[in-house]
Amino acid sequence: MKKKTNLAPYLYIIPGLIMVLGLVYIPVIVNLIYSFFRLSSYSSSMKFVAFDNYRRLFTSDTFPIMIRNNIYYCIISLIVQVGFGTFLALLLESKLAGERFKTICRNIYFIPSLVSLTAVGLMFNFIYNPQLGMLNTLLKNIGMADLQQTWLGDKNLAIFCIIAMSQWQFTGYITLLMVVAFQNVPNDYVEAAIIDGAGPVKRALSIILPLAKEQLLVCTIITVIGAFKLFTEVYSTTVGGPGNSSQVLGLFLYQNAFLHDDMGMAAATGVLIFVITVTASIFQLKISRSGEV
Amino acid sequence: MKKNLKKTLSVGLAAMMTLSLAACGGGSSDAPADTTAAQSEAAGVAAPEAKPEAAASGDVKTIKLFHRFPDDPCNAFIEKKIAEYEAEHPDIKFEVTSAQNQPYKEKIKVVVGSDECPDIFFSFCGEFSERFIREGLLMDLTPYLEADPEWKASLMETQMNEYTTADGMVYGIPFRLDAKEFFYNVDMFNDLGLKAPETWDDFIKVLDTIQASGVVPIAEGNQDKWPGAHYLGALNEQCVPDDVRAKDYDPKTGEFTDAGYVEAFKYYQQLVPYMNMGVNGMTHDMARLGFTQGQNAILFAELVEITNIKQENPDLNWGMFKFPTIPGAKGNPDLVSGAPEGFAVSSKTAYPDECVEFLKWFLGAETGAQQAAEVGWFNASLGVDEGLTDPSLISAYEVIANAKKMDIWFDNALYSTVCDEYLTQISDITNGDVTPEEAMAKIQKVAAEAQSLAQ
Repeated sequence: MKKKTNLAPYLYIIPGLIMVLGLVYIPVIVNLIYSFFRLSSYSSSMKFVAFDNYRRLFTSDTFPIMIRNNIYYCIISLIVQVGFGTFLALLLESKLAGERFKTICRNIYFIPSLVSLTAVGLMFNFIYNPQLGMLNTLLKNIGMADLQQTWLGDKNLAIFCIIAMSQWQFTGYITLLMVVAFQNVPNDYVEAAIIDGAGPVKRALSIILPLAKEQLLVCTIITVIGAFKLFTEVYSTTVGGPGNSSQVLGLFLYQNAFLHDDMGMAAATGVLIFVITVTASIFQLKISRSGEV
Repeated sequence: MKKNLKKTLSVGLAAMMTLSLAACGGGSSDAPADTTAAQSEAAGVAAPEAKPEAAASGDVKTIKLFHRFPDDPCNAFIEKKIAEYEAEHPDIKFEVTSAQNQPYKEKIKVVVGSDECPDIFFSFCGEFSERFIREGLLMDLTPYLEADPEWKASLMETQMNEYTTADGMVYGIPFRLDAKEFFYNVDMFNDLGLKAPETWDDFIKVLDTIQASGVVPIAEGNQDKWPGAHYLGALNEQCVPDDVRAKDYDPKTGEFTDAGYVEAFKYYQQLVPYMNMGVNGMTHDMARLGFTQGQNAILFAELVEITNIKQENPDLNWGMFKFPTIPGAKGNPDLVSGAPEGFAVSSKTAYPDECVEFLKWFLGAETGAQQAAEVGWFNASLGVDEGLTDPSLISAYEVIANAKKMDIWFDNALYSTVCDEYLTQISDITNGDVTPEEAMAKIQKVAAEAQSLAQ
């Protein structure tokens, strides 16, 4: 019998393929094309400027500041959200505390990530307010008035204040993701390790973490990508200020697109963010040898 | 058989999904046309020679209006007036949408060039609107004003000037007038035996006296960066001659090399020590609370904020004084910082006459008087102050009525990239991170680049 080509699987793929092409790949390519033009959102004219948008992006005074801020955000988030978040997850999955207490903790850690970013931004605006804010008042009342700062108004502190806000919000999210992964680790391995005499630290490092490697990788990638797409946190607090000290790539893109009517420059920034996140993701997938156990 | 069925099903499903996707992609503008066509067919309208649009619309003209005042009392006022207008004009229907200031600025830029552009929309005067004019997106109102001299004469000239391009094209009609003044706490001034200063030296003396009494003199919050720009705008007016500023504020010729700009920064630096701590870490609204709650003696604020000041502390005894003059400075001390904010008409509107007719009424004296009483804002029609009883609003109106010439908000006057750099530098100067000379050097660099960017 002649083997018939089975069409069905391809037909199932088509709608999804069209969606991915239309909504992801084509815009990415169009964006790349736009980055070589000078255009605005309301004007019909487009002027070809070759690499001028990139030249302006890389030579702008703000460029090193943005890259520095995004990298700060990335590194601190990896340490606090992924590192400390995973540690919290290990504690929550250990046998140190009762089930009920663990559930309560898990919820408490997770709740901040449910709050909308803008609301968190507003709330932290109040907390960091130099005159009426909670933080300065607290410092004063516990007798540490010397440590009072203008927080978001201080060039050297502003970006760290914003980063701190994100850590508060998203550590619990990563914790929850890791808890789910740890729960999927078969209990047999853990019990076997206990019989072999492995202590809690040894069990965590040699059994639980390696088996939850894929999830850890996902969390790392989410965090790194999130760090370079950072926008709302800055937009809802300092809008890049004071001066340009808390400027980040995402906000720079947005301001160029909608404030400076410079869609070409915004597209160029978008391409840069895309290149950074894709490179980082590929790099992580390679070094972690995803797919192998 | 079973396999065939499966295959047919999957083909059908796939086809359906693809089709629905195609429908999503197809312009949404087609949809209403299709429905109306279907409707008229269903209703059996036998008028093949009539244009389908006229048949479908039933002679109701829909005017889309987009504004940036979603908060009450203003929003309620606009809604009320539009309902009144619709009742009187059964053939006109409004579709009103609104957004907060910042999102508004972004949204309008996206819709204004598209087919979805509102017929009437809020637009700041100056560079904000002029970029649209360069693309031919705003309707020229000059012929309408010329055709109706009575209307033209009823509008305050100093304010209409702000909505007129250098070539004489009028592109907007003011909805609210505004200017920047120093507000001061009268009780505090009386206790210290001070009176409102007129010159810069007096002003510094006043500030010294207040500070010596243990009160932080000036409430200022520059987190959003524009409040500082208003100080610099006012100082530039005094330190830099009008023609030089006009040349520099035009993106095609801007250089910012005049020594007056550095001088203006130095005067601003003089004020910073008198401001509350953490200027850059606080929004303007929060700083205003410091003034209204009596922690600070002076606030540089807009007349439209009188409404807020009264809300925040109705018992506060406050007064206003003009930005102090700097004797011997090369600029123009008669200018009043501020600009009207108003509505423009899209050049793409299908109903230009109807739009203008509406604006005549909506921004006219009768509506204006009610607006002044209910919202506390004035439009540019003469005589809107007649029924006023509130002394603070009367004095606010006088500031504008007596102004010989307005000078548009600094941050609205500048090309966006230059503005951004200027605001950044003001923020840095406030923190003491750069010197005026360094700041101006950076602004000059961006201004030079802007010359090639501005089409």
